[in-house]
Amino acid sequence: MAFSELVKSFEKIRGYMREFYVYGFRTRSGFSGKSGRTYDNERRRLECILGEHTESSRDSRGKNVFLSIDSRSGERNPLYRLLRICSFTDRDITLHFLLMDMLDDKSPLLFPEIMERLNMYTAGFSEPMNFDESGVRKKLSEYEALGLIRTEKQDRKVLYYRSETPELSGYGDAVDFFSEIAPCGVLGNFMLDENSESKFRFKHHYITHALDSDILCELLYAMSEKRSSWITVRSSEWEVVPLKIFSSVQNGREWLMAYSPGVHEIRSYRIDFITGVRIGEIALRFDELRRVLSEMQQNMWGVACSKRARVQRVEFLIYIGENEEHIYRRLLREKRCGTVERIDQHTARFSAELTDSAEIRSWIRTFTGRIIQLDFGDRTAENLLRDDMQKMYEIYGIGGGEDAVP
Amino acid sequence: MLFHEVYGAYFSAVSEILRRAVSGELTPELMKQICDEKAFSESFLKIIPALNSGEWQLLNSDFSTPLKKAPTTPLTLLQKRWLKAVYQDPRMKLFGLDWSFLDGIQPLFQPEDIVYFDRYLDGDPFGDPHYISVFRTALEGVKSGSTAEILYHSAKGRTRRIKCRLQSLEYSEKDDKFRLNVAGCRNVDMLRLAGIEEILICPGLYYKQGQPEPPKMLCMEAELINWRNALERAMLHFAHFERETAHLGGNRYGLRIYYSENDETEMLIRVLSFGPMMKVNAPESLVDEIKKRLKMQFELGIR
Repeated sequence: MAFSELVKSFEKIRGYMREFYVYGFRTRSGFSGKSGRTYDNERRRLECILGEHTESSRDSRGKNVFLSIDSRSGERNPLYRLLRICSFTDRDITLHFLLMDMLDDKSPLLFPEIMERLNMYTAGFSEPMNFDESGVRKKLSEYEALGLIRTEKQDRKVLYYRSETPELSGYGDAVDFFSEIAPCGVLGNFMLDENSESKFRFKHHYITHALDSDILCELLYAMSEKRSSWITVRSSEWEVVPLKIFSSVQNGREWLMAYSPGVHEIRSYRIDFITGVRIGEIALRFDELRRVLSEMQQNMWGVACSKRARVQRVEFLIYIGENEEHIYRRLLREKRCGTVERIDQHTARFSAELTDSAEIRSWIRTFTGRIIQLDFGDRTAENLLRDDMQKMYEIYGIGGGEDAVP
Repeated sequence: MLFHEVYGAYFSAVSEILRRAVSGELTPELMKQICDEKAFSESFLKIIPALNSGEWQLLNSDFSTPLKKAPTTPLTLLQKRWLKAVYQDPRMKLFGLDWSFLDGIQPLFQPEDIVYFDRYLDGDPFGDPHYISVFRTALEGVKSGSTAEILYHSAKGRTRRIKCRLQSLEYSEKDDKFRLNVAGCRNVDMLRLAGIEEILICPGLYYKQGQPEPPKMLCMEAELINWRNALERAMLHFAHFERETAHLGGNRYGLRIYYSENDETEMLIRVLSFGPMMKVNAPESLVDEIKKRLKMQFELGIR
């Protein structure tokens, strides 16, 4: 089959694009479970769509192609382009423009009038396209569901109108800004002129979640309707009640927090690992489960949660030197569910009651050089942190150790 | 469904081609140019023959079109639901818009549906009228590329009056703050928007001409050992930087990450969060700072 830039299912390319952007070190032969031809097609698609960001390098294992994007450069999220490659048929595109044109008149049309006009539009072509009634009815229903057209019943007749287009010219700045930072921002991006320049720049801007937009959109829809959903993770399908989305602005990962009836627990599911969502029935316990999750959040540092896990205390003391008030301010702004107390001019205490003390370790490590005392209720987690510190001394040759590889 | 052809680049390109056909200005060269601008590098190979051959019965052989009007597409319901959702965001107050056309539309999500659990707690006061006024003036100035006079209080408590050209507004999702990028001012290129007491657009104001010196870019070279899923965490954590990754064999990976010299302290903090899973080999300034912190920690006694 000839190569096409377009694909029917986004899921087909999502994994590849993530691999090219997030990892970027695999060679053609390193993509296990995929044929070389599939790899070649995806690499070509990548070069067609994101050519200016595609780079390659070569080592003993071969050539690897990757995406290199500095998201602070000021360009709008380039990964959104990948969501503009949905395939269609000749009939789809022809019908789209003809329907939008004929319904642009203020007066509505009846179905027979639509059929008649379609034939008039194409009469000038040497082999006019043949529109069958059922196909046109199906397209009209699809466009009604999309919100592009609306219908009104008059006696036994159905009148077709084109939906009103709001004037959005003054909304460009707001749409521009939120299309980069809001969930499913690609929907805003679709409204913008691709060639216009953004007036905003973004720092700490994780663009990877663009690839999860379709999945996230379905999950948000399920939540807005308080419905359960069937999610596919690693080829297995699970019934869950989607409750909230947890998004990290420090590592770009997003999680679905959902109640799993199978295990009677609220769990976190990485959204980039979810490959399918089927909307289910109304979840009668949605409000109650959301309240439970809100209570659990008082003891969650990140996304690890378990109603059954015992809450453990995490406490550490930080040294604050002369003219180092910024360290204290750092504690205050980064404390999340914890508490910060000023003990004296040079010492502050952070404490929190957490269901999982493993998650906080990487944050504590960022205070290296200032930690006076560590006290974890979970001794295993504390010892792991101390061991890590010991390894760091060894790696960088501190305290008599020699430089070593980790 | 979000992945749909009506949002697609091909529809966008064909829409522009037909718009030019309606106005009678379409040429073969223009068709190719539109395909390149609105779609992708090989799109013209499909779009132009499909329109010329009548596979897509939208364009006549004389480059006219059976369409009566320049094509437009209404917003989809999903787009309206997204707009309704972002309209409820506290930061939307900055833009002062009337969203009454969305009355009756159900938002795609509510603010409480999304939890940004690691966002800093001292974000900018987006609802404060003074802040909103500064934001709007700054945005207008950025859009017009104007010069301005600014009374600014720095984070260190110093107050100064600055004459400069407004370049761009930068937002950090982690800090939840805006910064104003300015040019033509000695020792200053970024101003915290929340630190601006007064901003007055003064077109034609004298300021130091020429492009400001861009901050020096540094390259961090590090070796990563893939324990406790460190590879995946690092790849995502540093995803927003320009970077290269190489597999060194076994569970060892080499990283090269390019960052601005101004962000060295932040890079230090981020590297430390990975603990012994990441060893930095360059630049020397960063390695020295890591060693300094570890030495301080060793002396404080956590071992």
